[in-house]
Amino acid sequence: MSDIILNVQHLNKSFGSKHVLKDVSFSVERGHIVGLVGPNGAGKSTIMKAVLGLFNYASGQITIDGDAVSPISHQAMDKVGALIEYPGIYPFLTGMQHLKLFSKETTGQDQIDEIVDRMKMTTYIDRKAKTYSLGMKQKLGIALALVNQPKFVILDEPMNGLDPQANKDLRTIILDLAKQGTTFLISSHILSELEKLIDDLVVIDKGQIVYKESMATLESGGKRLLVVKTSDDDKATIILTQNGYQLDQTAGVSIIETDDTKMADVIKLLSDNGIDIEDVQHVHSDLETSLLELLKNDKVKES
Amino acid sequence: MITLVKQETYKLLHKKSTPAVSIALLIIMTAFGVLSKLYPKYWSAKNMFTTMYTGGSWVVLFLIAACSSIIAMEFQYGTIKELLYRKYYRGEILVSKWITMLIYSIYFYALVFVYSLILKVVLYNGNFKLTDTYANNQSIIETQLMNLIGQFLSVWLVLSLVLLLANIFKSTAAAISIGIIGYFALSVVSGLMFVLMQKWDWLKWNPLNMMNLPAQLTSDTYHKMTLLSTPEMICGSLAYTAIFMAISYVVFKRRSV
Ligand SMILES: Nc1ncnc2c1ncn2[C@@H]1O[C@H](COP(=O)(O)OP(=O)(O)OP(=O)(O)O)[C@@H](O)[C@H]1O
Ligand SMILES: [Mg+2]
Repeated sequence: MSDIILNVQHLNKSFGSKHVLKDVSFSVERGHIVGLVGPNGAGKSTIMKAVLGLFNYASGQITIDGDAVSPISHQAMDKVGALIEYPGIYPFLTGMQHLKLFSKETTGQDQIDEIVDRMKMTTYIDRKAKTYSLGMKQKLGIALALVNQPKFVILDEPMNGLDPQANKDLRTIILDLAKQGTTFLISSHILSELEKLIDDLVVIDKGQIVYKESMATLESGGKRLLVVKTSDDDKATIILTQNGYQLDQTAGVSIIETDDTKMADVIKLLSDNGIDIEDVQHVHSDLETSLLELLKNDKVKES
Repeated sequence: MITLVKQETYKLLHKKSTPAVSIALLIIMTAFGVLSKLYPKYWSAKNMFTTMYTGGSWVVLFLIAACSSIIAMEFQYGTIKELLYRKYYRGEILVSKWITMLIYSIYFYALVFVYSLILKVVLYNGNFKLTDTYANNQSIIETQLMNLIGQFLSVWLVLSLVLLLANIFKSTAAAISIGIIGYFALSVVSGLMFVLMQKWDWLKWNPLNMMNLPAQLTSDTYHKMTLLSTPEMICGSLAYTAIFMAISYVVFKRRSV
């Protein structure tokens, strides 16, 4: 068995004359949690729908576990669970009836009960879905994606409408399942949440993949700053610059850290010059900062 | 495929409207049975029986609504994605819906048939026998069965159109209204249609003319108006149904969701 569960190669897709996906290629490793991020309208949901065999694409190949996926080839979908855009829900059925309706013959009642329990839906699972709130529906949608214990799960903005506790529960569930070997492809705009989950990142902008790396690489590539708060910031800035430190122009006194920046040296240098230090902080650029930087610099042209 | 039909049936049975409609149908039929018993001047007992105490007309309405909703609700509720991304082929999903509706229509006609027999026995036991001659050398029961078969075929012609429209417009409203207008327009325009058909013979193959099948099956003179033999009409109905279904299938398979 290869280590790649999803492989997308040179995928092109147009809606009418609008070229929505342009030569998209990426792959997802088994057991990894992969984040798919990008601005509104970038094509995230479109990629996911194509991967689920929901529509024809102009050219390219999609394989899941080695089996080709297209609207006329759906065998691989047996291993896939998904929530795309918003959960599809029949108002006249209860949550439990939904789970029964969409569970496979091999999925037992105990599996259904387990996911209901883990998603904390027990109190309302036997109520008709038309009485559900936005977040309740969202949880049901996630439960539907997970109920058959698929090997590969696609979640499109799963944190939509979830309260902080539910967010945390979801994170725990995803991380647990991933540890047991389930692969996830997740898109989200809530980068601070996504950051806590993903192993790899795929960034798409205007239908093109502009970045694909592991999170480890991304983090090590980001700027690290040493932010100091002093009794005299202006003087500190001058002294630090004179002593060969690179400063970031953003806010306060932010020293761009290199491998031989030592906090002790900085503190000593400043106090020798009669400047009191009130606070020192290490700041790593987070996913949001890195991503905004990336999208600002990227050269993708609107076609 | 059996799994899919089971799932469709499950959804259908869990809609509140499903049992409500069956109960309403029985109530309406009972009402017409009782009315015709009380006022025999206005309604002939035999005529009431052969038309299944108006049950047949109501069934058409209910089936049109059910067919448009079984397709359009998936788009309306956004459940179409969940249905389609599974291991099943698209065609199978659509066909499972058709089979469910076929079963539902058979259920309805069986219900109407059996209940009209019950009403007959309860209300008119002494009045007439089922084997009495009605018209056209057919007994009463034969007339009723012919009516039933004719209605079934012409209803499916309309239903195939409704299924197609629901598929194209993704909404129940358009499909239901056109279906109902289509089915009941016949009585309004048939006079004009027959005249035009005298002038242009090929017009006899138009779908509205096929819907005269129930009338033709229970009369020995109707073919002079429809200009078609009964086998021609049956084939015509089936052909139109097949064409509408085929278009539906193609539309559904190519749809991006
Ligand atoms: N059915 C459709 N017909 C025409 N254009 C479409 C259709 N679906 C999507 N698009 C277009 O494709 C592009 C990508 O849409 P997509 O839904 O994949 O974006 P997204 O990355 O998921 O955005 P968001 O973050 O807002 O969910 C958009 O420009 C959108 O206008
Ligand atoms: Mg989207």
